[in-house]
Amino acid sequence: MNNKLQHNPYLSIPDLRIWHALGWITTSLYIIFIVLPLLALLVRGLQQESFLSSVISNTAFQAIKVSLVTSGASMLVIVIVCTPFAHLLARNDSGFLKRIDTLVELPIVLPPVVAGVAMLMAFGRNGLLGNALTELGISIPFTIIAVIFAQIFVAAPFYIRSAKLGFQAIPISYQEVSQTLGMSPWKTFWLMTFPLARTPILTGLILAWARALSEFGATIMFAGNLMGKTQTLPLAIMTTMESSLDTALALSVLLFIGATLILIISSFITHRRWQ
Amino acid sequence: MTQRFADTQNNALEGWIHCELGDFLLEIDLTVLPGQVLVLFGPSGSGKTTTLRVVAGLIKPQQGYINLGDHIIFDSSSNTWVPSHLRKIGYLTQDNNLFPHLDVSGNIGYGISQSNKTLKNNLVADYINMFNLLGLEGRYPNKLSGGQQQRVALARALATRPEALLLDEPFSSLDGELKRTLRGELRNILSVNNLPTILVTHDVEEALALGDNVQVLDNGKTIASGVPIDILGQPPKETVARLVGVENIIKMELSGRNVEDGVMVCQLYKDSDRSTNHLSIEVPLSDIEVGESLNIGIRASDIILGKARFPESSARNQILGSVREIELRPPGYRISLDCNGILLYCHITGSSKDEMDIRIGQKLWAIFKASSCFVVSG
Repeated sequence: MNNKLQHNPYLSIPDLRIWHALGWITTSLYIIFIVLPLLALLVRGLQQESFLSSVISNTAFQAIKVSLVTSGASMLVIVIVCTPFAHLLARNDSGFLKRIDTLVELPIVLPPVVAGVAMLMAFGRNGLLGNALTELGISIPFTIIAVIFAQIFVAAPFYIRSAKLGFQAIPISYQEVSQTLGMSPWKTFWLMTFPLARTPILTGLILAWARALSEFGATIMFAGNLMGKTQTLPLAIMTTMESSLDTALALSVLLFIGATLILIISSFITHRRWQ
Repeated sequence: MTQRFADTQNNALEGWIHCELGDFLLEIDLTVLPGQVLVLFGPSGSGKTTTLRVVAGLIKPQQGYINLGDHIIFDSSSNTWVPSHLRKIGYLTQDNNLFPHLDVSGNIGYGISQSNKTLKNNLVADYINMFNLLGLEGRYPNKLSGGQQQRVALARALATRPEALLLDEPFSSLDGELKRTLRGELRNILSVNNLPTILVTHDVEEALALGDNVQVLDNGKTIASGVPIDILGQPPKETVARLVGVENIIKMELSGRNVEDGVMVCQLYKDSDRSTNHLSIEVPLSDIEVGESLNIGIRASDIILGKARFPESSARNQILGSVREIELRPPGYRISLDCNGILLYCHITGSSKDEMDIRIGQKLWAIFKASSCFVVSG
């Protein structure tokens, strides 16, 4: 170890050696800070005998179902609506779109609770579109649609930002060459643009999905907390925490494992054969 | 792909384009016969690439028409605009633009509209053979050399069986030797495919090697057109002569004609009373009146330098001067010869310079044929 230190020219500078030591100390503190709670969650969650029964309890089952259905629907809508949007943002540099571009990330910095209130003000019974929607016989708040709305609102910016950067990285000349090779704009997208932007698109989708799964504030404001209808996993955790710590723990472990899996899958997806 | 034109051969490409892009106006006539190469020559910003992009369908001009054989691919009067992907026009850009996510086979096969996989693979294999790419089928573009990349790009463009080919400085990023090899390959491939081809270049050698015709563009207009050796070798206009780098352009006055020999004598007078002259040069006959002034162009590479006159030679022009400057101009040297106050530039090789031991101030004879001189109009 000592030998190694002497051979590293970076470490032979005394001032830098102090920085290096400081770096290791802070890194260790940070890792402990993050890992300790997660470890505690896993240990406490898996220790209890009722772990499995907690997971397959009705509350948990309903919450898992609502979470998967709503986040799946949100991702579908986000991909269909936001992919062409991200492509437009990447390719068009008009002043109007540039302003839109900066606004896209607003929901990321907006507190989710505020997003929930804002959506109530728009789609709620007394909201801007409330009367029109009521006349059409449509009521959005406190339904599964509201859960999906809330998730799209907070999660879409992650997808748009990533997909836009992915499209921007592809030279326009590739698209031109593809067309002179006889490929329509539609075929060009599927054969060239999408494969080249695949990694950032999928990374964005995974980030958005993780964000949608963990959505809490906007959902509870706009969609409420109705079991089997609008109660997603995070809401179920908060609710069961009041009655049964065991169920809350089991559901937390479940979400934690899910998130870890998402991270592992995404690191596999981002591997590119041609680079 | 069913919308594509049926396979037809021997289509000429012709058109007229009027295209305004901001302050820039491109106005150009084009005619390219099948199997022929039209060279667009000119400085950057003269509209060469814009012309190719219009023909390829990547820029829509305000007015004009473009026909490929019987097919109208653009006509502003009938509002016809065939989109790029239905034009069947191959376009090879300066940067090869190979798709990085596809290997060599994938890139070449990209535009082949053949649903039968075996037939498609056979076609790709044919092009891999034709372009000397055997063994590289599975390589990705970032693992190819510049020459290989450009071969793949050319194969990819031709594999779609286009009816016309557009080449935008295809070899500009390659070094000299490779450039010459690829140029030879391209010449062969073009002669086999019998396509009308437009080649953009600012390399005189390339224009001479590949072009059947040349159009010199400047600021969006055609300023000269014809056979490359005439237009670029002995440019008829001063702007073109400057563009193609004719080193010596001398303003002189016609003092006499010798119809029998097919030459005329030009003088450059030193004094206003015309008693003594700086320079006297014999040039080929043209229809200029005695007493009129004219510009004479001579390429620096057409001038021979000698330590003595060639008393018994056919060279009509032998002028004594003293060496003013010796400049390295790869692949050789440029010698500036002061001939009675007029500078003549001559190109010689490094070994000539060493063998003759040329030094500044030395007296040398500039020797050149009358036919190396040409009249350049203003």
